[in-house]
Amino acid sequence: MNNSKQLKMTVYTSLFVAFIAIGAFIAIPIGPVPIVLQNMFVLLAAIILGPLWGLACVGIYLLIGLAGLPVFAGGTSGIGKLFGPTGGYLLGYLPCVFVTAGISKALGKKLSTDIIAMVIGSLIVYGAGVPWLKVVTSMTFEKAVAVGMYPFLIGDALKIIAAAFIAKTLRPVINL
Amino acid sequence: MASLTPFSFRAGKSALHLLDVRCKFFIICLISMTMLKASLPAGFLYFLILMFLFKKAGLNIFSTLNSIKYFIVLLFFVFAARAFSMKGDMLFSFYGMSITKQGVNEGLLVAFKFFLVMLTGIIFSATTKPSCVKSAVQWFFKPVPFVPEKRLAIMISLSIGFMPVIALQARLISDAGKARCADLEKNPVKKIIHLVLPLLKKTFLSADNLVLAMESRCYSDDRTDPEFTPSGKEILFLAAGFVIALSFIYF
Amino acid sequence: MPGKIIEIDTVCHTFADGYKGLKNISLSISKGEFIILAGKNGSGKTTFLRHLNGLLLPDSGKIMVNNKNVSNNLVRTRKTIGMVFQDADAQIVGDTVFDEVAFGLENLKFKRAKINKKVSLILEYLNLFHLRERNPSTLSGGEKRKIAIAGILVMDPEVILFDEPFSNLDYQGTIQVLKTIIDLNRSGHTIIIATHDIETMICEATRIIIMEDGVIKKDGKPHDIVKHLESHGVKEPCSSRFGLGLQPWLP
Repeated sequence: MNNSKQLKMTVYTSLFVAFIAIGAFIAIPIGPVPIVLQNMFVLLAAIILGPLWGLACVGIYLLIGLAGLPVFAGGTSGIGKLFGPTGGYLLGYLPCVFVTAGISKALGKKLSTDIIAMVIGSLIVYGAGVPWLKVVTSMTFEKAVAVGMYPFLIGDALKIIAAAFIAKTLRPVINL
Repeated sequence: MASLTPFSFRAGKSALHLLDVRCKFFIICLISMTMLKASLPAGFLYFLILMFLFKKAGLNIFSTLNSIKYFIVLLFFVFAARAFSMKGDMLFSFYGMSITKQGVNEGLLVAFKFFLVMLTGIIFSATTKPSCVKSAVQWFFKPVPFVPEKRLAIMISLSIGFMPVIALQARLISDAGKARCADLEKNPVKKIIHLVLPLLKKTFLSADNLVLAMESRCYSDDRTDPEFTPSGKEILFLAAGFVIALSFIYF
Repeated sequence: MPGKIIEIDTVCHTFADGYKGLKNISLSISKGEFIILAGKNGSGKTTFLRHLNGLLLPDSGKIMVNNKNVSNNLVRTRKTIGMVFQDADAQIVGDTVFDEVAFGLENLKFKRAKINKKVSLILEYLNLFHLRERNPSTLSGGEKRKIAIAGILVMDPEVILFDEPFSNLDYQGTIQVLKTIIDLNRSGHTIIIATHDIETMICEATRIIIMEDGVIKKDGKPHDIVKHLESHGVKEPCSSRFGLGLQPWLP
């Protein structure tokens, strides 16, 4: 990879780190519960940046949150948040971004295959987040799924469809 | 970013502000890790120390609590879940659910510890400049193989710089949408796309300009290291940190 | 006659999409000149400036800076020729004013003590020293532009390129930046400003170059060029239009 391309990826990845951080605050009013866009930016980072830069992107996001910069939901940060009740979702972004990017790349970055990749990626986030929530709060598994997964599924479906279209339009513009 | 992040850096001249960021970082990690084993009295003592440091650093504890109220609600759920689920001496019961003494104790302790770790994180964020955080991360990653720590530091800087720009653009785009009655749009997917797509296009364009600006200023991964300015009180704080950590483990 | 610093010989540039950005440009620039590169949007001004800084390389022809070919001496060129971009927000890398100005020197691997000294000197020279701990994105447009200039100036360039330096600036900001540019020229820097609005600085310029469709249409002293501006899509200054000659814009 030549220097110029590498610098470009460095800057784009940093941009997505910022989007993931800001995504915790950008809410779109749909129905009674506004949907928050953070996980959509993680999925977009995956299908636009690819597996390695995507992984770096989420890694840096978690790192700066862990290091005390207020980038987690609610303007919080630190170990307390990362290992708190909702920490599993945050850590789940790591395998999510890698797997989503890998599938998207392997299947040829088409609209339909991107949607499949992002659905699998979202499930990974819940796979990490829900058991974590269960352990930390000592809820039953059914209860953890009921509060930590079901309420978000419709919003996720909307976000995945939107992300697929966004990626399709954005790719030629940023010319990677 | 100020409006988004209640715990961002507040300028000041307290001992915590001036403390070498690497030292501060190490103490925070030490305390947060050992907190898991802390007992209630040790935790309470640490809480008092934290309150003292909050005051010294010029932070208002009440506005801080107010800004983490959602986290506190979450902690209440953590407490409730423990209180209901632990087996032990029953305090009272209703509708077949029972609250036990052990459960209440355990729930209180867990919630209190999360709360303390949270406050510790807040005081670190509030007394440490983002650029110092970046330098510390770079320093700690220096011995780690396969991590280009200097590029990592630049990426942290850049993403911190992008955040207010994105937040501002998001507001402008959303206002521009409202001015053209975007509120009437009922399709949620379109709603998302109409906000996010222009936002991404616009910021990627300015990212392209940034790439050029960095190139024109001779950007290279091989750069001058950051400098650290110890305040002279590092040994004192380190010792105090160890004492607290030990008290968590043994009391 | 002072020495030539930049010599451009039949340079052409075609973009990836087939658009011809520059067509057979030839000219030379002497030390200490104050050049306005005028032309309407899309005339090739920015493309031309980016060639001088080595951000774009010619497809044919060559550019020599201090008798060295730009294409083979990128770092040397970028040290000699600094570039201030149009969008001041997009070129901020550091999270404090001090770090932002130090960025270029860090890339060149200067020693930390030397960096601190040089950055402090430049900040004092431009009256920005009191802002050194501030976050650049919270400053006014004029201050941001001056910080961008400081970030270039700290690398001791001989030539400074400006791309629309007054866009989005209010009256005060324009005055601040214009005065800074004039001072830089008096202290011996060669200045090249690309703009479609020449009124603010036509009195200070020693030479105007008009570009249109990637070609140089006119090149000469302001007095000789001023009446040809409008036929190439650039607004003639009011004073000249009303027959008062060229009047200084600064009060």
